[in-house]
Amino acid sequence: MLSYLLAGLALGSIYAIAAGSLVVTYIASGVFNLAFAAMAFTVARVYYELHVEHEWGIVGSAAFSLLVFAPLFGTLLYALLFRFLQGRSTVVKLMATVGLSVALPPLVELALGKLTAVTAPGLAPLPLKVFHVFGATVNADQVATYVGLAVVLVVGVGVLRFTDVGLKVRALVDSGALTSLSGSNPSRISMGVWAVSTTLAGLAGILIAPTAGLHVAGMTGLMAAAFAAVVAARLRNLPLAIGIALAMGLVTTVPQKWITPDGAFAQAFIPSVPFLFMFVALVYYALRGMTGDVQTGGPLDRAIKAEGGDPSAVPAPALRFGRVNLGVALPVVFVGVVALLPQVLDVYWTGLVATGIVLGIILLSYTLVTGEGGMVWLCQISFAGIGALLVGEFATTRGWDPLVAVVVAPLLVVPVGVLIGLLTIRLGELYVALVTLTAGLLAQTLVITEDRFYNYGSGVFVSRPTFALENAAFAYLALAAFVVFGLLVLNLRRSTAGMALGAVRWSEDGARTIGISVVQSKVLVSAFATYVAALGGGFMAMNYQSTLPDSWAPFAGMVWLAVLLTLGARSIMAALLAGLLYALMPGIFATYLPVELGEVPVILFGVGAIALAAHPEGAIAQTAGNIARSRARRQVRRSRSLAAAPAPEKAGVGELA
Amino acid sequence: MTGKHAQSEEPRLEARGVTMRFGGLVALSEVDLAVPAGQIVGLVGPNGAGKSTLFGVLSGLLRPSAGRVRMLGADVTAAPPQLRARRGLARTFQHPELFASLTVREHVALAHRMRHHRRRILTDLFDGRGLLGRADRDETEHVDALVEELSLTEVQHQPVLGLPLGTSRLVEVARALATDPLVMLMDEPSSGLDVTETEALAATMRKVVAERGVSLLLVEHDVPLVLGLCDTVHVLDFGQKIAAGTPEEIRNDPAVRAAYLGEDVDDLPSGGELVAPGGELA
Repeated sequence: MLSYLLAGLALGSIYAIAAGSLVVTYIASGVFNLAFAAMAFTVARVYYELHVEHEWGIVGSAAFSLLVFAPLFGTLLYALLFRFLQGRSTVVKLMATVGLSVALPPLVELALGKLTAVTAPGLAPLPLKVFHVFGATVNADQVATYVGLAVVLVVGVGVLRFTDVGLKVRALVDSGALTSLSGSNPSRISMGVWAVSTTLAGLAGILIAPTAGLHVAGMTGLMAAAFAAVVAARLRNLPLAIGIALAMGLVTTVPQKWITPDGAFAQAFIPSVPFLFMFVALVYYALRGMTGDVQTGGPLDRAIKAEGGDPSAVPAPALRFGRVNLGVALPVVFVGVVALLPQVLDVYWTGLVATGIVLGIILLSYTLVTGEGGMVWLCQISFAGIGALLVGEFATTRGWDPLVAVVVAPLLVVPVGVLIGLLTIRLGELYVALVTLTAGLLAQTLVITEDRFYNYGSGVFVSRPTFALENAAFAYLALAAFVVFGLLVLNLRRSTAGMALGAVRWSEDGARTIGISVVQSKVLVSAFATYVAALGGGFMAMNYQSTLPDSWAPFAGMVWLAVLLTLGARSIMAALLAGLLYALMPGIFATYLPVELGEVPVILFGVGAIALAAHPEGAIAQTAGNIARSRARRQVRRSRSLAAAPAPEKAGVGELA
Repeated sequence: MTGKHAQSEEPRLEARGVTMRFGGLVALSEVDLAVPAGQIVGLVGPNGAGKSTLFGVLSGLLRPSAGRVRMLGADVTAAPPQLRARRGLARTFQHPELFASLTVREHVALAHRMRHHRRRILTDLFDGRGLLGRADRDETEHVDALVEELSLTEVQHQPVLGLPLGTSRLVEVARALATDPLVMLMDEPSSGLDVTETEALAATMRKVVAERGVSLLLVEHDVPLVLGLCDTVHVLDFGQKIAAGTPEEIRNDPAVRAAYLGEDVDDLPSGGELVAPGGELA
């Protein structure tokens, strides 16, 4: 029993370091760092490079990677990204960190090379020493994690409680504006916090690498557990986050004394532990009315915060060219161009175009739930995955016509979306994002990759409709579906329901006092978005003729969302363009550029999302706005020059008079 | 009263023994208040007196710790704001709560639909009205009239983001009136407005009461405006109602003088002086 307790404490210690780092950066900067795993991987990879590839000693490698590289790296990230996130909406902050998490790993691999083996040493010398404590065994890596947490706690508490720097950090947490007025530089303090946070991420990464492996997926598991601890601690309570993280490690490990680790129950229970913690905590907080948006800073910070919220929610100005409404003409031309592609491209490229269009359908669900509903849901990809599974079940196992299956099966996913909508309706934006992300991870682990559907990764076969067996015909079928659902989204946006959603998004109190039901509005858009996501998943299964269970990881969905937001959260055409870019760019790089540049598209997607920090409205809305502003300036100049010029007719009249 | 809403024995809105506690803080303590038909009722008090909390309770945004809220005699204490809105309660906010992605006209149209054509929130999705943009004649006439009445014609197609504060307050009033309310709660409507804008707003309020028969409950720091405009005034101090009566009674109430108005009370102008005659919006 003691062995399990000690192993649980070791795991919990790593969770605790990660959770502590997330809490400190969140309360000091208002940014919930979804790139934590990528930053942990980066520092751990540098440690590996020094210790294994260049054969530096453990102390030298750890000292350089944690005390030199990590703080510099954190400072650089602050200068390039995090400082621009101040005052941005939750979705922009989240997506910018998603972009970082997408771009960092391939950048590191470009710089340091891709590892073929992911086993990595920790901070203990190899071969690992084993200690016996009251009959239980503890290895040196586990001891290193206890020591790591102890050092972090002692140094952290000491610095925060007893030093001038700690006082300034605590002041910044309470109010950046007042800190600034008292002569301290909040930017410099924030930079320091990010430097320390990166060091903690690196420490967690190095400590988890021997058990989870030196790859981003392993670090992501760590991050998901830390998220749950942070949400359970209401994002701000550092001691509680650390306590819950330790408890989570124990609850994950200790039951393994009684259950078979490879058994079905353990396979379902172990990955569910973070979700269970989060769920219990949220129910408790919801009952006590403590799940609203978390406010960072003090009254003065809120008073001087610029109004406007998320600029992506404000419609772009209408563009006209003469009598032509470009808002109508450009989408028609764009769809026309896409429709021409299967005519001019070969089978391979037409297949990629079909994939891009289908992805565009799935992205329409993000347009609905995030662009229209203003809710940051990170589990749309899971709905798509479940939709794919159900289409496989109906079309292949039960012999339905695939087209009927793809229309009917998503109806079964809608109640799940409605349930999540109802459960998260009173939660603040960040809570909604983290809860839906965790729910997506749970669905991926418990449902989508379940043995019955997984089939060793190849999934279930799904046939295409008989009239769309060829890639070109299927591309047209997908494009027709995209146009139909694009028009439905447009209809929603311009309808009473769309206006009500816009009202709820900007002021729930204002909306409720004119008779709008917030619950009805959000459930409506949740249901529609869930249906569209599941339908898109079904189309994707038909496209690949397989349910492809490994394609629906929630972190891949965050990349999709990041690409969409880069182009514009509310633009229907942005969904189609984002889908096509996501599908075609890797093909273009793989075909026409050197193999080592194969990851560049992923880096570009990540950089695009990072750019949201500077241009939250997205590329399409930004371009439309720039054109409209430029034309407005020209008109003003023209009218001024006309006003300045002499008016001959008037002069003539005057002369005659 | 000449408005279109019928007079009734029951107050249109009534608070009985309303108490509101936030942890150990008692923000309101057994407050009684009634808003009769076709009257303007003022609610004044120093900062922290509990005025905005009482507004929150009356409009349904806050659930009182004790006491009841009634509309036309019906208990609405547990009813959420949207149900009270459907019963005829509208409100404006101290900091205008507008919807930045909607135009001025859309604010008014949406509020009108929520009161008179609620089913459109679902039916629009199936009959394609959003795409086809078919306008409802009754709605168009109603919205046109309100927009014109509140002098919002020039800005009716503009998004509300970036409108001046005075115009934003008028948009809120138009939005509230579009729900054809029986009672309208106005939270510090003159806050941030200059003298001319305040006079214009006061004229609008009088017109709303005179022509539409709407009852107004007004929270306001501008004491001359309240005393000049209201039929009845209630005074809150530290969460307790310390006085209620006509403006003249309030002016002469020693408790009010001591707790709130102070020595300046004698210098206050008599009722109506700040209001433009005729009730037209300047």
